[in-house]
Amino acid sequence: MTGRTDHASERDSDAVDFPRISTGNREADMILHGGFPCNSINIVMGQPGTGKTIFAEQLLFHNAGKERPLVYLTTLSEPLSKVVSYAQRMSFFDVDAIGTSVIYEDLGSELAAEGIDAIVPRIVGIIKQLSPAIIVIDSFKAVHDLARSTQEMRRLVSELAGVLSAYDVTTFLLGEYTHDHIQTYPEFAVADSIVQLERDALGVRDERYFRVLKLRGSGYHEGQHAFRIEDNGLHIFPRLVTPSFRSYAPVLERTTSGIEGLDTLMGGGLWRGSTTLLVGPTGSGKSTMGLQFALEGRRYGAPALFVNFQENPSQVQRMVRALGVDPIQAASEGFHHLYTSPVELQIDSIIVDIFRHIEAKGVRRVVVDAVGDLVTAASNPRRLHDFMYSLVQHFVVRNVTSLLNFESINGITGSDDTQQRWSYMSDNVIILGRAETGGAERSLRVIKTRNSDHDPSAHRIEILGTGVRVL
Amino acid sequence: MTGPTVSPDAERALVLVVERDPHVRDLERFFLNEAGFAVDFAEDGLSALETVQARKPAIIVTEIIVPKLDGLALCRKVKDDPALANTVVLVFSILAAQGRARDAGADAFLMKPLAERRLVETVKALLANRQSARSHPRKESSR
Repeated sequence: MTGRTDHASERDSDAVDFPRISTGNREADMILHGGFPCNSINIVMGQPGTGKTIFAEQLLFHNAGKERPLVYLTTLSEPLSKVVSYAQRMSFFDVDAIGTSVIYEDLGSELAAEGIDAIVPRIVGIIKQLSPAIIVIDSFKAVHDLARSTQEMRRLVSELAGVLSAYDVTTFLLGEYTHDHIQTYPEFAVADSIVQLERDALGVRDERYFRVLKLRGSGYHEGQHAFRIEDNGLHIFPRLVTPSFRSYAPVLERTTSGIEGLDTLMGGGLWRGSTTLLVGPTGSGKSTMGLQFALEGRRYGAPALFVNFQENPSQVQRMVRALGVDPIQAASEGFHHLYTSPVELQIDSIIVDIFRHIEAKGVRRVVVDAVGDLVTAASNPRRLHDFMYSLVQHFVVRNVTSLLNFESINGITGSDDTQQRWSYMSDNVIILGRAETGGAERSLRVIKTRNSDHDPSAHRIEILGTGVRVL
Repeated sequence: MTGPTVSPDAERALVLVVERDPHVRDLERFFLNEAGFAVDFAEDGLSALETVQARKPAIIVTEIIVPKLDGLALCRKVKDDPALANTVVLVFSILAAQGRARDAGADAFLMKPLAERRLVETVKALLANRQSARSHPRKESSR
């Protein structure tokens, strides 16, 4: 006997492993703790254009080619020809799978002719004829428009849920639902999971979020996860959360900043794994100091990541060369540059990108030049703060030493909440400004070091061809 | 789709399905008919027992959660009755209860939902095993 739970293979326990269906998207699977449960009814909700169809099709084509076919049913919101036409433009689309592994069918004409009573017999017919492993109905919300009463719709949903639960099929109901529908539409009561795709306009660009609202019998990664739609489907950036410190072993070692004269003011250098906030006005030397700090990592074989939002890669290469370092050689020695245009900046994606670079390249030093650009780009300052706090805690756990540049004319002021928050999350705070003697002279002052002595007095600095030097 | 293995002209093996859910019943009937079996239904354990006694099905496919007499109690009663004990019992349930099904004397356990290939192949294999046991009965050892 080969059944998965036959007597020959069972042991005393009656525990069973409930299988899941992969979304075909690594990050979505991670958020869903492994994917959607098999034999479940799932709702993918979101306004038009949020990516519901692409998400469902990516899932279908990822699961295509297995034993049983997968069925995509269109209703009344979009013609079948249009859905297929656009699906072909996605890189995951496989024309060879159409008609065999992936079957597109139209329910719209039957719905229009017979009303909502046409749905259950058609689904039963599809099950008997095709034995599908997955059924997608797009859009199920459109079916509501044909129901003559709430009672009729409730009866339909109850019947449909009965059929879909009886058979070994996983179902996805797509729809242009809003939050209000969750309380009133019967399909939400029978749904085993609800995934919401959102889109918020922010200036000239959109921010999109993937969010799990419900997942029966399983944990999931809560909250809003930013995503972009690309040719290969949804590119999701799972929300960064504060890491566990259970296995964290602090390293009590100092490392050099690479800025002449600074280490002496800070008790002998920066603690490894510490975060330093470098505050100063335009032209005060923040970016140069950031590059010096990053390039210093080469002396220790410590890969460094320089993240910036203003200077493009060519400009950064010129800045590196100006410091007397060959940028090509620096790259080969572990100096990495991550540039994102401030116009396209989405804080979730950039922070997740930083984190991915750190993991992939074994980065030990990070410079963010400048966090003010992130603040400007953030639609929600609190969200940015939470993300950055989590990122900084990941730095701590990984003993990554970081330098965060922050543009400010007046240093850190008590009246500015944003500045205060950045200051609190940093181990060290350094202020750049004009020397007290006036004129064109520049100064540097260490105003905070956590777990270390420091010299709090103002010191003159010079910006030379080789970089910034503290006098 | 698994094709029928029983000739249309031959007498079809009778499967008694003990199930309340109309959707599961409909699908079980369809797939078992397609596979060449005759199908009868009972909605509760007591009426199932009466049908077993009256019609002598080749196999009982029973859910555990059925009224009056649950599927496991039905299985025990069938297996404890010498006149019925040869009846194959497949427990097919929403409950993860393979251990309890075995303790009740069931020949096999499958967990829902219904996947026709798994169901039909299990039924066929169980009936083939029974046929084989009848054709080649074990000799009792003498002491």
